[in-house]
Amino acid sequence: MSFFSDSYHLFIRWMKKLVRNPILVFFSLFQPIIFLVLFTQLFSQFGSLLGGVDYTKFATAGIVLQNAFSSAFQSGTSVVDDIKSGFLTKMLATPVNRSAILFGRILSDIFRVAVQTIIILALAYALGVYPQTGVAGYLLIILTVGFFGLAWSGISLALGLKTKSGETVFGIAGFLTFPLLFMSTALVGQPAMPPWMQNVSSYNPISFAVNAIRSLIMPPPQCIICTNVFDWTTILQAYGVIALIGVATLGATLYLFRKIVS
Amino acid sequence: MTGIIDVSQLVKTYGDGTKAVKGISFNVSEGEFFGFLGPNGAGKSTTIKILTTLLRKTSGSASVAGFDVDSDGAKIRKIIGVQNQDTVVDEDLTGRENMILQGELQQIHGQALKERVDELLKIVDLVDAADKRAGFYSGGMKKRLDLATTLVHDPKILFLDEPTTGLDPQSRAAIWAYLKRLNEQGITIFITTQYLEEVDRLCRRLAIVDLGEIVAQGTPGELKQEIGADSISLGFENSTMNGGDTRNKAKNLLEKKFNGISNVVNSDIGLTVYAKNGGFLVPEIVRAFDEAKIGLSSIGVSSPTLDDVFLKHTGKRIRVEEVSSANYRGMFSRRRR
Repeated sequence: MSFFSDSYHLFIRWMKKLVRNPILVFFSLFQPIIFLVLFTQLFSQFGSLLGGVDYTKFATAGIVLQNAFSSAFQSGTSVVDDIKSGFLTKMLATPVNRSAILFGRILSDIFRVAVQTIIILALAYALGVYPQTGVAGYLLIILTVGFFGLAWSGISLALGLKTKSGETVFGIAGFLTFPLLFMSTALVGQPAMPPWMQNVSSYNPISFAVNAIRSLIMPPPQCIICTNVFDWTTILQAYGVIALIGVATLGATLYLFRKIVS
Repeated sequence: MTGIIDVSQLVKTYGDGTKAVKGISFNVSEGEFFGFLGPNGAGKSTTIKILTTLLRKTSGSASVAGFDVDSDGAKIRKIIGVQNQDTVVDEDLTGRENMILQGELQQIHGQALKERVDELLKIVDLVDAADKRAGFYSGGMKKRLDLATTLVHDPKILFLDEPTTGLDPQSRAAIWAYLKRLNEQGITIFITTQYLEEVDRLCRRLAIVDLGEIVAQGTPGELKQEIGADSISLGFENSTMNGGDTRNKAKNLLEKKFNGISNVVNSDIGLTVYAKNGGFLVPEIVRAFDEAKIGLSSIGVSSPTLDDVFLKHTGKRIRVEEVSSANYRGMFSRRRR
């Protein structure tokens, strides 16, 4: 079946493009790293506000997710590039499996987010952050971030296919990033928020994903010294929310893509 | 209906009501070098897109190698090579990687693919640059690479939309030479271009489209013959040009003595005479002028060109868009907005 081999070859194409344009990786890693190294120092006092936790530990979950955010948003712009340059048309004139064109790109997004997550987690480890759930925790974090990145790529892909404008995707991405991030539990816990924002953050999908990742890194508040506590309710809730977003965004992407290729 | 490309009553109406193609019919035989000409917006690219399964037709029928463009698209895509108007290569990949990727998507793999790519790199003269990123290639090199990527799977039919536009004369000549060689190897070539001289030299048959309809088709020879006249240009010796006397004398002489001349017009060096079989007239004109003591400094015959054919059928001269400094300025000012 050509679906798998075509997806693989297109995945390789995207990976080569990424490695040869390291500036793209730099851009999406720069902010999370600055947050991890500087922001956490600046706001270290926050820890006491949130019940005496280590703020670097607390923020790592949000920062890991922020990284997924920014790289997922580049996905749409590169698909727009392919449409504009005619590369998509060139591929469509070959027997390539149509779905593989999209799947190859999505695979490369997941892979990239996973690698970037590992880089951030390694840096966090150097700053004294390691998950209370150990190696299994690390694996689950990477899986969750990859899954989240996949769902989030769908937004930028759908936007790109709909508007066929890289600037629009970039604009909307920039517009969404900060409100979504700051009105979630990514960097600040709910106890430190004004009541209205507590409400918003409870429904913010980012919060669900962050809470799951955080539960893997930090033990629940009521048992500070616990290790290996998997809060499955929080984790499964996050997966439910991500799956919902994924079905919606990737469904829209698939629909728009089919309209272009048929 | 025996052609490798059969098009009958093909119509394409876009969603906004634009009728790009209004019921055209033609066929191309296997192994033919077929020119598809027309002014901008005539419907050439639309037709190519339909034939290469990139666009759905509105009505009529179209088949490629016996496969229907609507129901057998997948089979068509396996045997065609398509080069778009814009050069399309992935600039982050090397020349070789571009070709390998294209080959993999064409479902050719492993050693066979590797060998084929090596062979093609030689043919398009990119062996030395094969492992450099295509982003560093010149325009001509990119175009050659683009052409090579369409050949990896050894297509039976090659669709080329303006393959040499925007190239310098040398690269252009190289591309035409490759195309000639490919055609000699048996590949059917369907091409749109603005370079009529090359069409004249290479295309066995051609069709001219204008406003979505075919206005003429045939061999270059047939189409030129329809124009009906060669042009003979006569130049007079400078000393005898004074006052226009010689010119009038010559005109009178031509009109009285010769049959088959359809028109005589002034030119900046003397006169231009339009006549059937101009070549046969030349010795007679020379003799007559000699007797009448009209001094000729030059005489030349040219057959009608495809330019004349194009002009007759479309009312327009074909415009070759050269890459000029004016174009560059245009590009930059557009970008600045």
